[in-house]
Amino acid sequence: MTANPTAPAVRVRGLTVVYKTPVGELPAVSNVDLTLAPGTITGVVGESGSGKSTLALCLLNAVQSPGRIAAGSVEIDGLGDVVELGGEELRRARGRHVGYVFQAAQNSLNPLKTIGKQLLDLGRSHGVEDLRALVRDAKDLLARMGMDGARVLDSYQHELSGGMRQRVGIMLALVLNAKVVVLDEPTTALDMITQATILRIVREVHDERGLTTLVITHDVGAVAEVADNLAVMYGGRVVEHGPVMEVLGSPRHPYTRGLIRAIPRLSGDISLARALPGRPPTLGTLPAAGCVFRERCDRRMDVCDTVEPVPLTRDGRTVACHAVDAAADVDANAAPGVAAGAADRTPTTARRKEYA
Amino acid sequence: MITGTGITKTFKQRGSVLGAREVRALREVDFAIEPGGAVSFIGESGCGKTTLGRIIAGLETYDSGEIVIDGVPMSGLGHRRRQPHFRRIQLIHQDPYSALNPTRTIHQTLEAPLALRAKQTGRSRSWVDARAEELLGLVGIDPGYVLPRYPHQLSGGMRQRVVIARALTMDPEVLVADEAVSMIDVSLRLGILGLLKDLRVRLGVGVLFITHDIATARYLGDDSELYVLYRGQVVEHGPTETVITRPVHPYTQSLLSATPVLHGLEKPGAERVVPTEALDPSRTDEGCLFAPRCQFATQLCTEQRPRLSHDGTTLQEHACFHPRTRSVIPTGTGTETEMGADTLADTGADMGARG
Ligand SMILES: Nc1ncnc2c1ncn2[C@@H]1O[C@H](COP(=O)(O)OP(=O)(O)OP(=O)(O)O)[C@@H](O)[C@H]1O
Ligand SMILES: Nc1ncnc2c1ncn2[C@@H]1O[C@H](COP(=O)(O)OP(=O)(O)O)[C@@H](O)[C@H]1O
Ligand code: SF4
Ligand code: SF4
Ligand SMILES: [Mg+2]
Ligand SMILES: [Mg+2]
Repeated sequence: MTANPTAPAVRVRGLTVVYKTPVGELPAVSNVDLTLAPGTITGVVGESGSGKSTLALCLLNAVQSPGRIAAGSVEIDGLGDVVELGGEELRRARGRHVGYVFQAAQNSLNPLKTIGKQLLDLGRSHGVEDLRALVRDAKDLLARMGMDGARVLDSYQHELSGGMRQRVGIMLALVLNAKVVVLDEPTTALDMITQATILRIVREVHDERGLTTLVITHDVGAVAEVADNLAVMYGGRVVEHGPVMEVLGSPRHPYTRGLIRAIPRLSGDISLARALPGRPPTLGTLPAAGCVFRERCDRRMDVCDTVEPVPLTRDGRTVACHAVDAAADVDANAAPGVAAGAADRTPTTARRKEYA
Repeated sequence: MITGTGITKTFKQRGSVLGAREVRALREVDFAIEPGGAVSFIGESGCGKTTLGRIIAGLETYDSGEIVIDGVPMSGLGHRRRQPHFRRIQLIHQDPYSALNPTRTIHQTLEAPLALRAKQTGRSRSWVDARAEELLGLVGIDPGYVLPRYPHQLSGGMRQRVVIARALTMDPEVLVADEAVSMIDVSLRLGILGLLKDLRVRLGVGVLFITHDIATARYLGDDSELYVLYRGQVVEHGPTETVITRPVHPYTQSLLSATPVLHGLEKPGAERVVPTEALDPSRTDEGCLFAPRCQFATQLCTEQRPRLSHDGTTLQEHACFHPRTRSVIPTGTGTETEMGADTLADTGADMGARG
């Protein structure tokens, strides 16, 4: 990890986003705390509908109707609370401070304009005076990613392969010098070799430019290759968060464990692998109280039906699960001198405790 | 039994800025699918996998070669006489979201093909409903829950099971699954792969599995076979486990090396191979097709095209002048036994609806 001191930190606190549905407003993101340490890449994984894209859009304050941010804040160093920004200020922050590569960037480019034309539009809309310099920067970035910049700028979207379009998306997100970058499913629908190339580029550009990066994906493997830290989302909650090696090597939340065991792998005993029973929740099927994962959980207890587990941080790892709490209590009793200090049982303090 | 010999297909693109361009999608591909067998095709985007799947399902023509279905060569038959044979090969679409008509309940979706089937085989109407329930049971979902519902009310895994059930209404001999799990949530993928494996055993249905994620091919059964396609040519072919653990072709090794390593749980292979450049389908056809991207290429490789054959030292066939086994796949770090020791309800299926 090459944490860059000039990169901004991002602090998401108590964030709740609701979508209007026929049965009222329902939360897609529920009271989420998440800190992106400066200069790191954080991967957010979770199944379809777990709220990953919704969370990511909040970094731009770009949740669209029928959705809205109902509570919470997103503090970005050098910018302030994005949730409080509006109008011209917000428009300028997008692109200049926070770059965003949308899910399926392959299809989000304008099919009727060359890439170069879209670049100039972007520059003008942000009041860039030196458009020549902008084009030069764009070409440099494209060359950095192994492409012929001049040719790419002269091309239309349909003339580029999926992997090339993804790189164009990354160029457009970085060309205004954003220091916080959000990539939503950057490699979905790409084949493995193209995916590996894109992930390597993301890592290298991140290090070279001193960025703070958020990568959203349903593919744990993709995150494992590129991220420093891993946040696991389920039903609009971050249920586990910590260094990627530790979370994958010794997952604590039953969902994380089940998810990792369900990954088809090249090595290892295939008889140990199995699908997670049940199905991912949708807004309408999320239980109102208790743990959102309990229908699929193999460690469910009575308390899980009524009390929502609170994220607790110990040893730099955050987990929201009653069973993990109970196990930690046993540890604490067995070795009070060691564990009691590390475990912070006061929910409010734990919630404030930052993951560094 | 379905065999293909020398299947060749070239697409001619007209009207592009660059003028007419030819894409050689398939080059003399040979394959065989035994009854109840499993065969996987892997390769990068654009290497011809979908084209081959569509040809085998009778949805695309081919320029030369021969497909033989249960002893009957297709080349001698006109379009109409081929149809009943190709109907025994059913394609499962990659996208379970668009594969089902959103305005029809699952009951309606299954009823139409089953009614046709009843007419063909002289069965009664009551057979249709019973068969619909039987098929849904077979793919591991609760008919009572699913039948009255619309596709949007089901999870991705359930939808893909419905798509498979619909394919089974035609009593197919082979299911062609083109990227059938890549759009399904990771947590549910193994459930669908397990189902395909199960259908092989229980119904004797053959599976032709198309994917760019090689790891998924391991889950179809340990008797399955793997074909590696590169720019339309099969460059390595053999038992799936052999090709994955002891690949000899640099292209196969590149594909395996690109599979993400679960750091913390796995260590990367010691000899990972990275292609020297990106795939360019318009590259010269001289010599080995992979030579422009191959770090092991020699003069010979640029002058002659290696043919797929056994060299007597390995179980698999390959098309490489300089074959060498390299350890490119990740190795476990040993932490997973600890995870495996946990008890977890072994449903292996997406059966949320039952509970
Ligand atoms: N209808 C068509 N017209 C022209 N070219 C085509 C057509 N269908 C396929 N091709 C070309 O044939 C080659 C093989 O295509 P195919 O779709 O079979 O590859 P694939 O391995 O399935 O790729 P992907 O993983 O992207 O689906 C590609 O170069 C593709 O551009
Ligand atoms: N425009 C919308 N209207 C209603 N519900 C929505 C809308 N967008 C997303 N949702 C719901 O919010 C939840 C989270 O969605 P999303 O953030 O897109 O998750 P992900 O990116 O992980 O798939 C899902 O249940 C989804 O159905
Ligand atoms: S809180 Fe209970 S139901 Fe939720 S994950 Fe933990 S043990 Fe399972
Ligand atoms: S024949 Fe030569 S160029 Fe082709 S894969 Fe083998 S070593 Fe590489
Ligand atoms: Mg999304
Ligand atoms: Mg395809």
